[in-house]
Amino acid sequence: MTADANKAHPHDPFLVEGCADGAEALAVLDGVARTYRSGAVEVEALKPLDLCVRRGDFLAVMGPSGSGKSTLLHVLGCLDRPTAGRYLLDGHDVARLSDRELAAVRNAVIGFVFQRFHLLADESARRNVELPLLYAGVARGERRQRASEALDSVGLSARMTHRPNQMSGGEQQRVALARALVKRPRLLLADEPTGNLDSKAGERVLQLIEDQSRAGTTVLMITHDPEVAARAEQTLLMRDGGLSRA
Amino acid sequence: MNRRMRSVIREGLLHVTRHPLRSSLTAFTSAIAIAVTVNVISLSFGMQEDIAGDVDLFGRHTLDVGVPPALAPGVKRPSLGEAQVERTRRLLTGLDPIVVPRRQRAAPIRVDGIDEPYRLQVVAAAPAYLRTLSIPVAHGRWLRADDAPGSPELEGTCCLDEASAVRLWPQRDPAEAVGARLEMRIDGVARTMRVVGVLSDPLRYRELFETFDEGRGARTLTSSLLSFRNIYVPAATFGPGDYTGISIVLPTDEAVLEAQERLIAVWADARDLAALSRGSLIVFVRKQWMEALGTSTMQGSMVGNLVWILVVLVAAVMISTLNLITVRERYDEVALRRCEGAQRRDIALQITVEGVTTALIGGIVGLPIGYVGAHVLREIVQFPFRFELRYAAVATGVAILLGLISSVIPARHAATLQPARVLGRRLR
Repeated sequence: MTADANKAHPHDPFLVEGCADGAEALAVLDGVARTYRSGAVEVEALKPLDLCVRRGDFLAVMGPSGSGKSTLLHVLGCLDRPTAGRYLLDGHDVARLSDRELAAVRNAVIGFVFQRFHLLADESARRNVELPLLYAGVARGERRQRASEALDSVGLSARMTHRPNQMSGGEQQRVALARALVKRPRLLLADEPTGNLDSKAGERVLQLIEDQSRAGTTVLMITHDPEVAARAEQTLLMRDGGLSRA
Repeated sequence: MNRRMRSVIREGLLHVTRHPLRSSLTAFTSAIAIAVTVNVISLSFGMQEDIAGDVDLFGRHTLDVGVPPALAPGVKRPSLGEAQVERTRRLLTGLDPIVVPRRQRAAPIRVDGIDEPYRLQVVAAAPAYLRTLSIPVAHGRWLRADDAPGSPELEGTCCLDEASAVRLWPQRDPAEAVGARLEMRIDGVARTMRVVGVLSDPLRYRELFETFDEGRGARTLTSSLLSFRNIYVPAATFGPGDYTGISIVLPTDEAVLEAQERLIAVWADARDLAALSRGSLIVFVRKQWMEALGTSTMQGSMVGNLVWILVVLVAAVMISTLNLITVRERYDEVALRRCEGAQRRDIALQITVEGVTTALIGGIVGLPIGYVGAHVLREIVQFPFRFELRYAAVATGVAILLGLISSVIPARHAATLQPARVLGRRLR
């Protein structure tokens, strides 16, 4: 984005105030926008928006389907690049990072939890959890140990050798959570983490996410459920590609 | 190779083992391609190798000055007597040659127990003649200077080719021909000869040589020698008369070419094998004649090589398609791996490892299939066939190449996948 464009973008005082009070920011979106081209039509998935996520924050993002929540999550997770604006993550300007550096950032800084768990079907729970450590170049023995510890921390020490199809939905999501946590991420991005779970299993997963937040991990959670959103410290609303405080 | 790369390779190998049906299909396609490759290589390269070996056996440093055995009607045979032999020696001064004049003519041969005599080529040669052939004596010994030429009163000595022994005594082992007696009539004189040695037949593909010869429309001097159905008698067995050829053994390739130039300068246009029909003397290097034969067989083997290359390419397309379908089924997995920190090259490496591994497994399965198939073909069409470990190595290399080629497009496709697009469509 050009300097002129930055100037033209009016900052949202609510969404950037956290960064102004001197607290350490982990992720800062400054006028970030994302547009897609669908045939001849240009779709504005994210309108220019500002957001400051401080270290240790627990944020929930709510909004109807198609409002841009997932696009926001992809941008925050360095899976997608903004078409305008500036995104600073852990002090790095994401736009300046190469593809290889972005992969390293995803590996070291960000943990992902998806609604449909997204585990490798042919691998055991432990091998699933080992996955990010594999790309971090961690030795095999240490991978196994850390994966075991992560599974233990989510209450699945007895399910380490089980494959996803041998586990319940709640257990699978806990494996996915263990996979996100095993690399000790600074930012945990959860996309509808309880969307496919019954209330009991969902509650268990939410407690684990809250535990992580209390332990200092920054969490941004996307949800449709106001009760789930209420567990976060702050809830943001997403509508038509724009972000506002609830 | 760093730890991360090793881990990615291991992921690829594990994937192959965890999807046995998919891997088997790919491997089976590769197996067929490698089986065909082994088959054709064994046939074509094997034949080439053997012909090259035959060139050596026939005497790669040997040059011939010869009188064509078959002349056009009415064409007078050129004279090749002592004067030409002496002239040849003089021309080759300084090249360290061994000059061996040779007389050769067909003669009826009679042995005990057979009513009708066989006509065989009888070659009268000095002891040094064996050096122009570079072939071993299979049984007994070669002719010596003190061997008797044979006469109606005195039994002479002779050697014969293995094929001649089989023809004269079909029920016996060629080794048993040593010590046997035979009768021949040369220049109207009946002679009794005792066999003292049997020469091995160096040509593995005799029929191939003879087919080549027939294809040229005339029996050449070389093929006459190459028939290896001769009887060799001491030089003095024949009376005075023209030589049919002078064989010259030289120490090096360079000396052979130099000798050829010097002799051609004297016997003009004799380099051309077509000169046979014009009745002139010919000067030729056996190696060149054999190379002409090699070129002819190479054309045949090129067709074979085109077949296996085509089969490998078709297999590459098929495996590539299978791999591409597999990658499309694994969009979620690829996207997830990218989320968890996999770089594009990690994905490409894993897909390539999977492709190469399955192709290699197929190659290992295809090797024995191709080997057995070549044996079956050999039995059916009586085609020369030869299998060596290095052909297996070539086939293995082809399998790896096949895996690499067939992985290029799928690996590239997977590596360039945008995880956000996949996640946006499917993952939630």
